[in-house]
Amino acid sequence: MAATLNGVLENNLAESIIKSRLLMVGAGGIGCELLKNLVLSGFSNIEVIDLDTIDVSNLNRQFLFRKEHVGKSKAQVAKESALKFKADANIVAHHESIFSPEFGLDFFKQFTLVLNALDNRAARNHVNRMCLAADIPLVESGTAGYLGQVTVIKKKLTECYECQPKPTQKTFPGCTIRNTPSEPVHCVVWAKHLFNQLFGEDDPDQDVSPDTEDPELAAEAGQAALSTEAKKDTIGGIERKSTRSWAMETGYDAEKLFNKLFRDDIKYLLSMENLWKKRRAPQPLDFQELPGKGEAMCTGVMRDQRVWSVQECADIFAQSLAALKQDLYSKGDGGTLVWDKDDHNGMDFVCSVANIRAHIFGITLKSKFDIKSIAGNIIPAIATTNAIIAGLIVMETLKILSGNISKCKQVYLNRIPNDRKRLLLPCALDPPNPKCYVCSEKHECTVMLNTQKVTVRVLQDKILKGHLNMIAPDVEIDDGKGTIILSSEEGETEENYDKVLSVFAVGQSSRLKCDDFLQNYSLTINIVHVEKLEEEKEFEVVGDISQFHPTETTTESPVEGHTNGASKSKATEEEDDLLIVEDQVTPDLVSTGRKRPAEDQQDALLIKRKKQESNTEDNEDVIEIS
Amino acid sequence: MRRTKGPVLIVYKMAATLNKGTGLDKNNKYDRQLRLWGDHGQAALESSRVCLINASATGTEILKNLVLPGIGSFTIVDSCKVKGEDVGINFFLTVDSIGKSRAQVATELLSELNEDVAGDFLEEDVDDLLEKNPSFFSTFTTVIATQLPEKTLLHLGKVLWERNIPLIVCRCYGFIGYLRMVIKEHTIVESHPDNTHEDLRLDRPFKGLHEFCDSLDLNSMNKKDHSHTPWLVLLYKYLDIWKNMNGGKIPSTYKEKTALKELIKEGVRRNAEGVPDDEENFEEAIRSVNSSLHATAVPAEIQALFEDPCCLNLNTDSKNFWVMVRALKEFTENEGQGLLPLRGSIPDMTSDSERYIQLQTVYRDQAEIDATAVAGHVHALLHNIGREEPLNPDRTKKPGTLSDSEIRTFCRNAAFLTVLRCRSLEEEYTTETANLEELGQHILEEEEDANSDSDDTVLYILLRAADRFFTEYNRYPSYFDDTLDADIPKLKACLSKLLHDWGLTAGVKDDYVHEICRYGASELHTVAAFMGGVAAQEVIKVVTGQFVPINNTFIYNAQKQTSTTIIL
Repeated sequence: MAATLNGVLENNLAESIIKSRLLMVGAGGIGCELLKNLVLSGFSNIEVIDLDTIDVSNLNRQFLFRKEHVGKSKAQVAKESALKFKADANIVAHHESIFSPEFGLDFFKQFTLVLNALDNRAARNHVNRMCLAADIPLVESGTAGYLGQVTVIKKKLTECYECQPKPTQKTFPGCTIRNTPSEPVHCVVWAKHLFNQLFGEDDPDQDVSPDTEDPELAAEAGQAALSTEAKKDTIGGIERKSTRSWAMETGYDAEKLFNKLFRDDIKYLLSMENLWKKRRAPQPLDFQELPGKGEAMCTGVMRDQRVWSVQECADIFAQSLAALKQDLYSKGDGGTLVWDKDDHNGMDFVCSVANIRAHIFGITLKSKFDIKSIAGNIIPAIATTNAIIAGLIVMETLKILSGNISKCKQVYLNRIPNDRKRLLLPCALDPPNPKCYVCSEKHECTVMLNTQKVTVRVLQDKILKGHLNMIAPDVEIDDGKGTIILSSEEGETEENYDKVLSVFAVGQSSRLKCDDFLQNYSLTINIVHVEKLEEEKEFEVVGDISQFHPTETTTESPVEGHTNGASKSKATEEEDDLLIVEDQVTPDLVSTGRKRPAEDQQDALLIKRKKQESNTEDNEDVIEIS
Repeated sequence: MRRTKGPVLIVYKMAATLNKGTGLDKNNKYDRQLRLWGDHGQAALESSRVCLINASATGTEILKNLVLPGIGSFTIVDSCKVKGEDVGINFFLTVDSIGKSRAQVATELLSELNEDVAGDFLEEDVDDLLEKNPSFFSTFTTVIATQLPEKTLLHLGKVLWERNIPLIVCRCYGFIGYLRMVIKEHTIVESHPDNTHEDLRLDRPFKGLHEFCDSLDLNSMNKKDHSHTPWLVLLYKYLDIWKNMNGGKIPSTYKEKTALKELIKEGVRRNAEGVPDDEENFEEAIRSVNSSLHATAVPAEIQALFEDPCCLNLNTDSKNFWVMVRALKEFTENEGQGLLPLRGSIPDMTSDSERYIQLQTVYRDQAEIDATAVAGHVHALLHNIGREEPLNPDRTKKPGTLSDSEIRTFCRNAAFLTVLRCRSLEEEYTTETANLEELGQHILEEEEDANSDSDDTVLYILLRAADRFFTEYNRYPSYFDDTLDADIPKLKACLSKLLHDWGLTAGVKDDYVHEICRYGASELHTVAAFMGGVAAQEVIKVVTGQFVPINNTFIYNAQKQTSTTIIL
């Protein structure tokens, strides 16, 4: 090792490297590169955490893994591969979730610094909070296609990962998905919901049947609505049963399922006349009479690249349904399947179903390759970008270790050198946002909701966990009595779950003290009671942080922010939840618009994105953490 | 595996064949990158043959990033044996390999990364090889040279330049990363530009667009059809009205465009009370006025290609690219009536799918007609230069000919064609032809602004000084720890001579000289890893023919995390 340093590094830095203890969270695309860089830069005490196992699609860049490792723990194999080349390194691998209680504050405190090589926002939020609580520096990073970025987070010195709110994840109103899809993505969401309804875990938010509570119908009022109700009973009474149990009864019969989903349900939708006054009405399909009937099925190499005919879709629907049924039955009673974009049958199912539905609603059909992008929220990833970013991470790490954390930069990697001939854009780190509800002195925010409608369960799952990034929250009302409405201890407050907040006298101006023991984080929520929020929202987090609140991005909005590519985008390759498909085109670490140094303002030209197609054709312009 | 001479190609083909069929499904393995450069980009990558000179840390890091995405084959040329100091910084050399051939060990370990890539090596000194068997290099798609001394580099540069083989020079020296692209001519069809206008031709509507738009009558439409008429059609119609009112002119000034927008706004249907309906398609039409009414024309860059000698003087050996450029020129001058072939795609817009698809078809059909016309010119030109029968009945692709899909891709990208011509190393290293103006200016800026974060060109000058040091003393400054103090003045002298030769009066600060001396020509792994990513990305651009490579020098300052590109 001495040979490599060879007087290039100052002596005390060389010593710090040897003594330091690093935690690397994530052993994927960046993680593999980073682990190699670290051991070859002289680091010898490294712990690696990754819950993931190795997939075939990792092998084009995650070079510590080979074909024979597919299915094994990333953390473990990464460690073994690295040790082959550096037997004296002390590497500890944890095949575990970073959220696991064993990685508490004491665990974090033993490290000199933490390096994130993650692929999802939830884990980044959590590590951010743990590092703030333990007061150790965090190097955060991400890549997507040709773009990447690295930044450094240190309590009280820099912005934390949550100082700037991330654009909210795009969700689609239930009635758009269930009644009036108008874009391919709506059909893909519906198809994934259908998969879960038929094979996965039950989720009442993922109903696929026509939605009779569509607000557009409510406007119709009176007679029409009544007649709609009346019609409901005439459609075979199917609605009263869960899709799953009905499908089970038919033995997952392809024709019966097809005709219910794509003929009867569509006819039922047609009966909601108000929906179709200004829209093109859907066309029901019958399994036996499909466009493209009699044509041969497409096989061979181009199968996934071209758009299937409706008949092909129906055939593939039937095939994949039968295969998935076998998979399900093999799990035994009560078993469920988890949808995975890299599972052949699951992907075929979603692709065929989405396209059949698209055809019915007159929406453009897509190839399986394209649908995989939408459904799997796939972000392109290549070895070169990860190599570049991992190199940058180590350089920032060295600055921290040599006591020059103030010289650390936030560095963006452009796709090509910008107009000023810079491939890299280093920017000064911003100071903490004094109003951040995570890293400021006073952790407070305001939540608008209807206390007579929002349940404790919604408070826990959607607000505290979903929006405010807590892992295991406890909630007590600041009412002088300390009424506990939610406890993270199992069994303590479960009877409260389905009660609405007003039952506990939570109303206008109530204050909720929320605490997450694991994250060593507490937050006071000021409740503002409102009857109704726009766009059917259940709640809205406002208050201090709201002035920074970015507007929700949509697919046609400027994706990249800037031609210099210092893009903003969130990386969620492995997050299969389609409702966050937007993450492909929204900021990852922090919105970078305001971070441009003055000299680079001229680069800040907005890029216009094409809708949808651009997502798959050239969506390299997004940030992933792989 | 050791070879010194011989039919390189045959070895590769065998290796490639042997590897077939044992691999994983390539679509799955390469899924994440296919989304960047497509199947045809991947196919180009898989047929590439890459040569790496020196299995340095920089070299193996580059190669790693090329083996993973699946180049066809690689060959490492290196005469060194593995030393202890190599192992500490090079992931592809292990402790137990010390004393073995560096080329062989690296080849074996790199080959493990991807069984679809054939690896090969040659344990031979590059200088000898250049002397005795320079045609060895002729079989490669691209050559990557790492950590080479100046003299060898210039020799290699000359040999490859003569043979039109792209050379990518990469070097890591302490905290400095250096990359130089040496490509005589690189033609790019798919340059993937960031910002592009749609090719809609509203100012020069073609027959199909005329017919389709004229067949629709807004006045007689029902409410639903009216509000679902694509904005493209709306804009066409209101533009028509505007033109009739303004002597056939299309709006060009801000004022005129505003007037057109008003005109469109008036077309929005009103309800019984006279309140305008919510018609999203009309809003889209108004929003599109500014971006969609630019004058359709052949871009200046493409005009320049039409006048390029390579286009004007076709011969039997002309590149397919230039044959197609010439065909494009002929199309533009004839069928195209001054315009490039239609791109044939339209953006998403509010519409019922029926009319959207019809409109799509209108554009696609015209693009097809244009592409067929261009193909006609291509085939005639190929015939003229003796490369193809004019009416090749099966339209199968023969060497030197062009497939229809290639011609279509070319037509779709006609407005974005790019030709990159780098300067040769000889030009850069010869004082008379060196880009001294650029260097002088950068030095001056550096001198004036001590805190300048923005200029790393001085690092290049220092590397050149270190090279001169090497030429004089046959070692790099402070290569051995104990010579640091003695080498600083020597390096300063080299630097002065260099600047004097260049006729530059500005000086370089001593700090820099001390710093570069301290580096002792050592390779740092993390800098090598970074440059490995950058250089491999450029190689991928070159072999896939997609995206525009850097022209021509890239410098990375690892301490400041800055970089610059400069033409030298």
